[in-house]
Amino acid sequence: MSHDSHHAPVASKLDLAPERSDLGLIRPDRKTGWADWLTTVDHKKIGIMYGAFAMFFFLVGGLEALAIRTQLARPDNDFVTARMYNQLFTMHGTTMIFLGVMPLSAAFFNFLVPLQIGARDVAFPRLNAFSLWTFVAGAFVLNSSWLFEFGHLAGWFNNFSWYKSLVYTDFAPANGWFSYAPLSGTVGQADAALHAPRFTGVGTDFWIIGIQILGVASLAASFNFICTIINMRAKGMTMMRLPVFTWMTLVTSALIILAFPAITVALIELMFDRQFGANFFNPSAGGQPILWQHLFWIFGHPEVYILVLPAMGIVSEILPTFSGKALFGYPIIVFSGAVIGFLGFAVWSHHMFTTGLGAVPTAAFALLTMAIAVPTGVKIFNWLGTIWGGKIRFTPPMVLALGFIWMFMCGGFSGVMHSSAPADAQQQDSYFVIAHFHYVLLGGVLLGLMAGLYFWFPKIFGRMPNAGVAYLASGLVILGFNLAFGPMHYLGLAGQPRRTHTYHAGNGWETWNFVATIGAFILGIGVFLAFANLVWTAFKGKKCGSDPWDGRTLEWSLSSPVAEYNFAQSPVIAARDAYFEDKHGGRRIAYENDGGEAGVHMPSQSWMPLVAGFGFLMIGLGMPMLSMGVPHIGWLVIAGLTVMFIGIWLWALEGPGGYMLKTPAVGSTPSAPAHQTATTH
Amino acid sequence: MISRLLNRALFIVVPFLGLLLSACSRAEREVRQSTLDPKGPVAQMQYDVFMDTVYLVLVLFAVVGGLLVYAVIRYRARPGDNAAPKLEEGHGNPLVEIGLITASIASLVFIAIPTLNAIWYTDDVPAEAVPTSKLSAWYSRVDANGKENYPKAVEDQVLEIDVIGKQWWFRFEYPQLGLTSDAKHTVPNELYIPRGKAVRINLRSEDVIHSFWLPKIAGKVDLMPGRKNHMWIQADQLGHYYGQCAEFCGDSHAYMLFRCQVVEPEEFAKWVQAQKAEAAPVAAGTKAEKGKALFAAKTCAMCHNISGHYGAGNFGPDLTHVASRKSLAGAWLDNRNPNEQLALELKEKNTEASTPVDPAKLKANLIKWIGSSGTSHTAEGVATKDVKPGNRMHYYKMFNVVSLNESKQQFTAEELDCLAEYLLTLK
Amino acid sequence: MSQVSEPAHAPTSTGIEHKKLIMWLFLASDCMFFGTLISTHLLYRKLYPTGFTDAEGHQRFIQNLFNIELTSFSTFILLMSSFLMALAVSAMHKGQIKSFRRNVLGVIFFGLIFLGCQVFEFTHFFHQGLTIQNSVFGSTFYVLTGTHGTHVAIGILWLILLYFYSFTGKLGGHVGALDVEVAGLYWHFVDIVWIIIFTAVYLVEYLGPSGFWGTGLPLTK
Repeated sequence: MSHDSHHAPVASKLDLAPERSDLGLIRPDRKTGWADWLTTVDHKKIGIMYGAFAMFFFLVGGLEALAIRTQLARPDNDFVTARMYNQLFTMHGTTMIFLGVMPLSAAFFNFLVPLQIGARDVAFPRLNAFSLWTFVAGAFVLNSSWLFEFGHLAGWFNNFSWYKSLVYTDFAPANGWFSYAPLSGTVGQADAALHAPRFTGVGTDFWIIGIQILGVASLAASFNFICTIINMRAKGMTMMRLPVFTWMTLVTSALIILAFPAITVALIELMFDRQFGANFFNPSAGGQPILWQHLFWIFGHPEVYILVLPAMGIVSEILPTFSGKALFGYPIIVFSGAVIGFLGFAVWSHHMFTTGLGAVPTAAFALLTMAIAVPTGVKIFNWLGTIWGGKIRFTPPMVLALGFIWMFMCGGFSGVMHSSAPADAQQQDSYFVIAHFHYVLLGGVLLGLMAGLYFWFPKIFGRMPNAGVAYLASGLVILGFNLAFGPMHYLGLAGQPRRTHTYHAGNGWETWNFVATIGAFILGIGVFLAFANLVWTAFKGKKCGSDPWDGRTLEWSLSSPVAEYNFAQSPVIAARDAYFEDKHGGRRIAYENDGGEAGVHMPSQSWMPLVAGFGFLMIGLGMPMLSMGVPHIGWLVIAGLTVMFIGIWLWALEGPGGYMLKTPAVGSTPSAPAHQTATTH
Repeated sequence: MISRLLNRALFIVVPFLGLLLSACSRAEREVRQSTLDPKGPVAQMQYDVFMDTVYLVLVLFAVVGGLLVYAVIRYRARPGDNAAPKLEEGHGNPLVEIGLITASIASLVFIAIPTLNAIWYTDDVPAEAVPTSKLSAWYSRVDANGKENYPKAVEDQVLEIDVIGKQWWFRFEYPQLGLTSDAKHTVPNELYIPRGKAVRINLRSEDVIHSFWLPKIAGKVDLMPGRKNHMWIQADQLGHYYGQCAEFCGDSHAYMLFRCQVVEPEEFAKWVQAQKAEAAPVAAGTKAEKGKALFAAKTCAMCHNISGHYGAGNFGPDLTHVASRKSLAGAWLDNRNPNEQLALELKEKNTEASTPVDPAKLKANLIKWIGSSGTSHTAEGVATKDVKPGNRMHYYKMFNVVSLNESKQQFTAEELDCLAEYLLTLK
Repeated sequence: MSQVSEPAHAPTSTGIEHKKLIMWLFLASDCMFFGTLISTHLLYRKLYPTGFTDAEGHQRFIQNLFNIELTSFSTFILLMSSFLMALAVSAMHKGQIKSFRRNVLGVIFFGLIFLGCQVFEFTHFFHQGLTIQNSVFGSTFYVLTGTHGTHVAIGILWLILLYFYSFTGKLGGHVGALDVEVAGLYWHFVDIVWIIIFTAVYLVEYLGPSGFWGTGLPLTK
C-alpha cells in the first residue's frame, strides 16, 4: 500500500502541503474544526467522542427510565399506554447497555490504553474511527425507531398506502432487550410472501439491525484493542506490569470477540425467521424458542462482565492512587478478572432457571454461578486490602470508587441469592431482579465509570471539575439510587413482576413504587448534575497541572491535555506503577530517542471510516423500511451496501498515509521530562 | 466538608434504611402476591432456601461491610500526615488470599447444599407425597349415582392440571377429570385445587412464552411453546390466591393475571361436577334471550364456548360458567365489591379471604369489557378505552393478523345490556 | 527526505505483525460464529432425526437428498485451492510475483468451482422440495452452508482485488507478502470450516447402517 508519506519532519501538520492518495483524493490532514473531528484517527479524540455520545445516550435512556417510573408511581396509572411502556423499557435497557455503558467504557479504552502502555496510537487508527462511526450509525438506527413511532402516533403517515396496509403498527421495539422468540419472531406457517404470522412489527426489525450494526462496531474495536495491548506495549511494559485497567480492557475485548458471534448468529436466524419464513424459532414448524434464549444468554451473560470489568479496572486504578499504596494482590486481581471472564461463559443458563431445564442442568448452573462469586469476592477483598493501611485522600473519584465497592457488594449479595435456583424461582422476572442488576450496573458500573470520568477528566481536558458540585452530584446519585432500587428488593419479594406497565391498588405495592419513583427523579437530577459539571469543566473549568492526583501510571507523566503524539520519546518501563516509581522511587522511566531528527510518524486522517459507517446507517434505515413496505426503499439498502463497500475499498487503497512530526527534545534528566511542557493545541 | 461527610454517611445508611422501612410496611400476609408468606410446601421450601441465602449474606455484609467502613475511617489521611509514599509492589499476602478464597468457598457450600436439596424437591411431586395425594386417596372414583368421576387407569396418579397460556389469559384443563377442550369444558383463569394434596401442573403455550407464578404456593415455571414443562404445587391453607404471568408476553402482559381457589377435597369434587354441567336454558322474552341471540349475531360464538348453547368456539375463554367467576378479562377486572373485599382482608388479616361475586360489579365489568375491547368508541360514537390493548376480542383471526383499517365490532348500549344480562345467567 | 522506516515495519511487542494478529483474532471470533451455526444445525438434527417433509407432503430422508459424490468433489477442490494458496503465499515471500499471480488465479478458479457446486446443490435441493420455509432442516442447512458460501465469495473477491493490485507494482516487499499471507490465513480458515461442515452436515448422515441420528430408517427409500 504505497502512499505519499510526508517524509520531511515538520513541527505541525499545518505546515504540510495537502496529501494526495493514489486515486488523487486529498487526505483531510490539514483540516481543523468539525472536519477534524469527523476525520480524526487520534485515539484521544475518538475517545472523547465516544464519551460525548455515551453521555448523551445515558440522558436519553435516563429520560426513558423516568417515564417508566412516572407510569409506575401510582397504581392503575395511565401516563403512557401499555405498548408505549413496553417500548420504553425495551429501549431503556438497550440504550443503557449498548449506547450508554459500552461506549463509555470504549471511551476509556480509547483514551487510556495507548497512554497506559506507552504507545502513540492504537494498532489500527482508521479501524478505530470506523468503530466509532459504526457505533453512531447503529445508535441512530435504533433510536430512529422512535421517530417512526411518533410519526405513527401523530398521524404523519396516514396518507401513504404502505402505511394503510400495515398489519403491525409498533414502530419502536417492544420486546424487551432480550427479545425472546417467538414474541419477537414468528408462529405458524409462512404465507406465499414468506411471512409467517408474527407478534410484532418493524420495531423488532429496527432492533435486530441496530444491534447487528452495534455488534460490528464492538467487534472491530475489540480486535483493535487486543492487538494494541498485546503488540504495542512500550519496552519493559511486560504483561504483569500492565495497569489493571488495561488488563481489564484486554479481558473485556476478549469477551466481546467470543460472545458477540453468538448474538450475531441468533439475530441472523431471527431475521431469517421474520423476513424469509425460516423456522429457527417458530414452534409451529418445530423450531425451539428455547434455543434463542440459549444463544442470547451465551452472549448475554458475558455481556454483563463486558459491562462491569472496565469499571472494576477503573476502580483498581483509583483506589491505589488515593490510598497512596500499591494495589493489593495485583496478580490475584488480574487473575480473578480473567477467571470471571472465563467462568462468565459457563453460567448463562442461570438466566433460564424457570424455563424447565431439568434438575441436573439447573443444579450444575446453580453451582457454577455460586463459583463465579469467588473471583468477584476476591476482587473486593483485594480492594479492601488496598485501602487497608493506606492514607486515604477523599476526592470525588475516590468517594465514587468507594461507592462503587459498596453498591457492587450489595448487588453481588443479591446475585448470590439468585444463584440458588429454588429461591430464584420466586425472584426471576420480579422486581428483585431489577434491584439486583441495577445495584450491579448502576450502583456498580455507573458509579465506577463516573469515578473514572472525574479521575481522568483533568488529564483529558487539563481542567479540574468543581469538587463541590461533584460531591453534591454523587450524593444525589447515591441517595436517589438507593431510594429507587432498595425498595425494589422488597417489591420483588412481594410478588411484583417486572415489565408490567401497571398494577392494581390493593396489592400492597403502592407505597414502595411511589418511593422508588421519587428516588429515580433524585437519581436523574444527580446524574444530570454530574454530567453538566463535566461539560462545563471541559470548556470553562479551572486549569490544572498534568499530575493533580499524584498518579501512578504512565498517562500522568504526560501533559494535560495530552499532545497528539502522546510520547515525544518512547518510554522504557522499569516497574509496575511506572510513573509513581519514577517520581518517588529508584526505578526511573528511561526515554528512547526513537524519532530523533526524523520526528515521529503520525497517521493521516481519513474520510473513509465515516463513509463506511454511513453505509451502515443507510442499510440500517433501509432494512426496517423495507419490511414496512415503503416503495422503492430497497434502493436505499443497495446504495448503503455500495457506499459501505466503496468506503472500505478506498480505505484499503489510500493506505495509512502519514507524516513525520518533530517532537520537542527530551530534557537531560529523565525524571523531569521536558515533554510535559510540550506544546498543546 | 458537610457534603463530604454526608456522602460517606449515605453509603452506609441508605441501604439499611431501605431494609428497615421495608420491614415496617404491611404485614406479609396482607400482600396478595407475597413470596414471604408461603402457604404450601413448595413455596415454603423456596422461602427456606431464600432465607438461608439471606442469613449468609447478612453475615458477609456485616463482616466485609464492617471492614470497609472501618478501613475508610481508620486509614483516612489526616492533616499534617507527611510520611513518604510507600513503594512496595502489591503482591498481596498468599496466606490472606488463600484463606479468604477458602472461606468464600466454604460459605457457598452453606447455601449449595440446601439449594441442591430444594432443586430436586421442587422438580416433581416427591414420592412421599404420592400416597396421600393420589386420586384414589381423596376422591371417590365412582359417585353415589354410579357415575365415573375419573377412569380407573389414573387412580394411582396425583391430580394433573394442564395450564395453557395464551395472549393474555390462562386456560386450565383437568384431563383426568374430563375438563378438557375436547370435552368442551375448560376453566379459564380461575383454577381450583384441593387443599393438602400435591397437584402436578403441565405447562403449555399456544403462542408466546408465558410463566405460571402463584407466589404464595410456588415459584414460577415458564410455559414454552414447543416444549412440555411441568411443576408441582400444594396448598395447605384454604382461600383465594392471586397469581400472574411472569414472562413478558406482549402488549397486555400486565393484564395477564389468574386466581387459584384452594378448597376442601369434598368441595373440589362438587366443583368439578358443576363445571361439567351445561348452561341452563334462558327464559323467553327476557333481555337475556335477546343477548343470547346477539351472542351469535355479533360472532362471539365463533370463539367462545357455552356448553349447551353454543359449542363452536374454542379460541377464547369458555363462558359456560362466567357468572360464577370472581374475575374477568384475564383476572384484571375483579367481580367482587372492592370495599367489602378490602374490609374482609383487613378483618381476617389475610388476603386469602374472599367475598362472593357482586352481580352489579360483574355486570358493569361485562359491559366495560365487551363494549371497549378492540375499539375506540361505541356504536353511538361514545369514546371508550380499551381494557386490554391488543387483545383478540372482535378480531376474527389468530395471531393479530389484522390490518389497520379492518373494521371492528361495535355495540350499542342496549346491545351491551342484553349481552351482559345473558352472560349473568351463566352461573 | 530522511530515511525512515515504514510504520508497518515498526517492531511489535510480540514480533507478530498487527495485521496478522488481528486476522487471528478475527478468526477466533469467526470460530465462535460458525460454532454457533453448526451447533444449531446439530441440535435440530438430533431433535428431528427423520428428515423433512417436502411441498407435496412426502416424508423425505436426507441421505436420499444429498449427492455425496458431488459434495466430495467440491470439498476436494476447495482443499486443493488451499494448497495453491499456500504456494501463492510462499511465492510472494520469495518475491516471485508471476508465480504468485498464477497460483492466486488457480485459487480463484477453484473457489469459483466450489461456489458453482454450491449453487447447483442449492438449486437441486430446492427442486427436490427442500426450502428454507418447509422445515427446520431446510432453515439450518441453507443458512449454515450459505453463510460459508458467503465467506468463500468474500475471499474470492479479496483475492481478485489482490490479483489486480499486483499489476500496479505496489504489491511487493514485506508489506505485500504480509497482505497476501493475511488473505491466505482467511482462505485456509474458510477451508477448515468447510471440512467441519462437510463432516458434521454431510458425512454423519452416512454413518452406520441406520444413520448416525438413530432413525432406524433404511439408507434408500
